[in-house]
Amino acid sequence: MHISDGVLSSSVIIVGFVITLVLLMITLRCSMKQSDVKEQIPKLSVMAGAFFVASLIHIPVPPTSVHLILNGLMGVVLGVLSYPAIFIGLTLQAVLFQHGGFTTIGINTMNMGIPALLAYGIFKIGYQKGIPLVLIGAISGGLAVFISVIFLAMSLITTGEEFIDIARLIAITHVPIVIIEAIVTGSVVAFLAKVKPELLPIDMER
Amino acid sequence: MEYPEIDRYASLKSPIHQFDPRAKIISFSILIFFVVFVNELDIAVINLFFSFILIFISKLPIKFVLNRIKWVLLFVLPFLIIMPFTAGGSELMTIDGIKMTYEGLVLGMLIVLRATSAVMLILTMLATMRFDTTIKALYMLNVPGLLIQMLMFTYRYIFVFLDEFLRMWRAMGSKGFKLKANMYALSMLGNVVGMLIVKSYERADRVYQSMISKGYTGNPKTMVKFNMVAKDYAIAFLLISIAILPYISKVVL
Repeated sequence: MHISDGVLSSSVIIVGFVITLVLLMITLRCSMKQSDVKEQIPKLSVMAGAFFVASLIHIPVPPTSVHLILNGLMGVVLGVLSYPAIFIGLTLQAVLFQHGGFTTIGINTMNMGIPALLAYGIFKIGYQKGIPLVLIGAISGGLAVFISVIFLAMSLITTGEEFIDIARLIAITHVPIVIIEAIVTGSVVAFLAKVKPELLPIDMER
Repeated sequence: MEYPEIDRYASLKSPIHQFDPRAKIISFSILIFFVVFVNELDIAVINLFFSFILIFISKLPIKFVLNRIKWVLLFVLPFLIIMPFTAGGSELMTIDGIKMTYEGLVLGMLIVLRATSAVMLILTMLATMRFDTTIKALYMLNVPGLLIQMLMFTYRYIFVFLDEFLRMWRAMGSKGFKLKANMYALSMLGNVVGMLIVKSYERADRVYQSMISKGYTGNPKTMVKFNMVAKDYAIAFLLISIAILPYISKVVL
């Protein structure tokens, strides 16, 4: 899912960093208006940690195995703060495990963070429309990964036309991940709604 | 699953271990970016060789390094295998009617070389100092305090989370649960992830409150004192000039 060093062209990498820096500033400033960000730090760090650990869970899908991404879940639980949380999670993955690259932190955060923000929007709209939580959770989770894959393919293709076939291949191999991610996110959302609804952006009055 | 201990060998003694953390972060970052942006095969080979020398100087165990490189190779090797057949360009040879191109092969090799050198440089940079030193160095390099705090909290929670997750996982395993790609197993996995989040969220909140009550302000405090001496400037200058050298020589020649 995350691109490692040495694959993308310099312009794609620089654009990734610029967009990520801008979005980091916007999302942090945005959440500072709502409440004191310092109080959000534990929640944010835990989710970034969950994101990190979840990516270590390998689910056997013959002939290989895939791992969870959970960016949709991050979006649903953290809202706008999911972007900085994904940034932190990916930085630590690159730094501690060498999953993903050091120079690609910008573009990888963008590829996973923007879909997380979209998942948040979708979840809120779906919730207001009265769609069951499991279903809307599954939709946000699956869609977030789906959009991430499209972003990933796009960042490869903008690097060079030579990458079109490999981008297509990567997109196809991610189809099972979209399905798995939808099921898992739906089930996590249903679980949280039962056990700790204040972690979800829903009114508890209803 | 194993602990992501990047700083397991931070207590070794080598010139790179003694290099000032701030200077190390800056010069290695510049080096990594230049290594990644190389477009010539011969320079990429030289860079790989150079990164290898730095690893050698740093005295990091080869097993540790190889273990880390493995992950990156898993990602980039498919590029080397697939690119020669899919990229357009002049024909190198034809196997069973499938055309292999020279350009594709060069690009595939470039990707593997750049990725391997970059990961070796990242390892030499980060595995030679304790992670809290790295964070303090970042703080002193004026990275915003909020990001530093999040980085530090998350880093600590990763270990808590791993333990907590493995405990639950063992409990489920001992009751006969097997992770498969089916509806039931995946929704169970969802419950475990949800439980993990709830448990850790509550713990994080508790810890944060107690830290605040003990006067935590968000500024990292470690006992390590940084001291830039002439030697640090010299090493930094050397590393950066090695990074830029190929580019300068290209412009001059």
